[in-house]
Amino acid sequence: MTTLFTINNKEIKDINTTILHTSDFNYLKDIQEYLNNNCAVITKENIAYLDCSPAILSIFNSEYLISKKDYTLIDKIKINILNNLNDNKKIYVFFNVLTYLDTNFKTILINYLKEKNKVIINYSTDIEETLLLDYLIVLQNNTIIMEGNYKEILKEEKILKKLGFNLPFILELSLGLKYYNLTNDLYYDNESLVNYLWK
Amino acid sequence: MTILNNKPKEKIYGLMGNINLTTNNTNISIVTSYKFGSTVKDYLNSPKDISSLKMVYLNETYLSKKIEELSESEIKKVNLAKTLITNPKIIVLNYFEKGLTNKEQKDYQRLFKKLSNDYHKTILIYTNDISFIWNLTKEIIYVDKNEVINTYSSDDVPSINIPPIKEFITLIRNKNINIDDYKETSDLLKAIYRIKESNNEISN
Repeated sequence: MTTLFTINNKEIKDINTTILHTSDFNYLKDIQEYLNNNCAVITKENIAYLDCSPAILSIFNSEYLISKKDYTLIDKIKINILNNLNDNKKIYVFFNVLTYLDTNFKTILINYLKEKNKVIINYSTDIEETLLLDYLIVLQNNTIIMEGNYKEILKEEKILKKLGFNLPFILELSLGLKYYNLTNDLYYDNESLVNYLWK
Repeated sequence: MTILNNKPKEKIYGLMGNINLTTNNTNISIVTSYKFGSTVKDYLNSPKDISSLKMVYLNETYLSKKIEELSESEIKKVNLAKTLITNPKIIVLNYFEKGLTNKEQKDYQRLFKKLSNDYHKTILIYTNDISFIWNLTKEIIYVDKNEVINTYSSDDVPSINIPPIKEFITLIRNKNINIDDYKETSDLLKAIYRIKESNNEISN
């Protein structure tokens, strides 16, 4: 992993990263730093109009946005994302926006960016989103509490609990099943665990 | 707000679907991340400022803070404190749970129950996350283009954001296994254990 740049004491590496933070984290400084580093920055703010190619609209099943006039917050977030996909940026940074998206749009987005070899940085308080990306940094206010491969970090259940986070559903379930000797391993996606339990 | 027409008051409702929330009714307060342009103390502007902050799990140290010192979630919490001071009959939460940790979400679920049960407020929670409201209310109002389409129970509401536990149960059923709906991981775990145990008994 190569360090691309440092933002407010956080080394940002060329790996898809979730930044899981407590609710007191103010990310205004981070936004400015990412903009200074020529990243595509997606927030809920400042969305005016749809400006993206028909091809991208089609990939994301979002053609309905063309004729829509009264955008909801979720429409605006989608527009902000789709507009940014037109730019040929290397790094895409999401500030607490993926949590507003439907599962289908979110899956298409992550797969699309991964296929295009973009670096994804996702700021979130949603523990389920830590399963989407390889690397995990955990912040309390502005301090890094721990970082590393997400599977390793999610083993630190006590620290996460102390910060107010549960484990992701599938990990909590597979830990329970392991306790009851119904599995030997931990599972990080629903399908693998169901297929293991009922081959 | 036409959404709550003919609905019993002093209850909690979920609200899902496609809508831009607005109101000009002074009995209704919509809690958003409105960015007030002052310190928290000036914004709250009430002798009840500390008690209202405490109700929303903040403390008096926040009084001297300026908006730029607060996170987005803290701004929402302060706006909820302001709403408690203005004391409307109906409180509408607009994606309030976003940006909160799991523990905070539980804390606020308790607060919303308290506001409904003890303070006789009608609470409307607008969200795309069914798992945030399914233990708070049995009635979820579904809207599209600002029109009420239907009212569902929390078990039947059509959601485009399927909680992982629901998705998991669907995958089990796809294997032709009979299993009930569960909302808690611990209950699902026990159910899986029972199913596997009964399979073992049959195969033994």
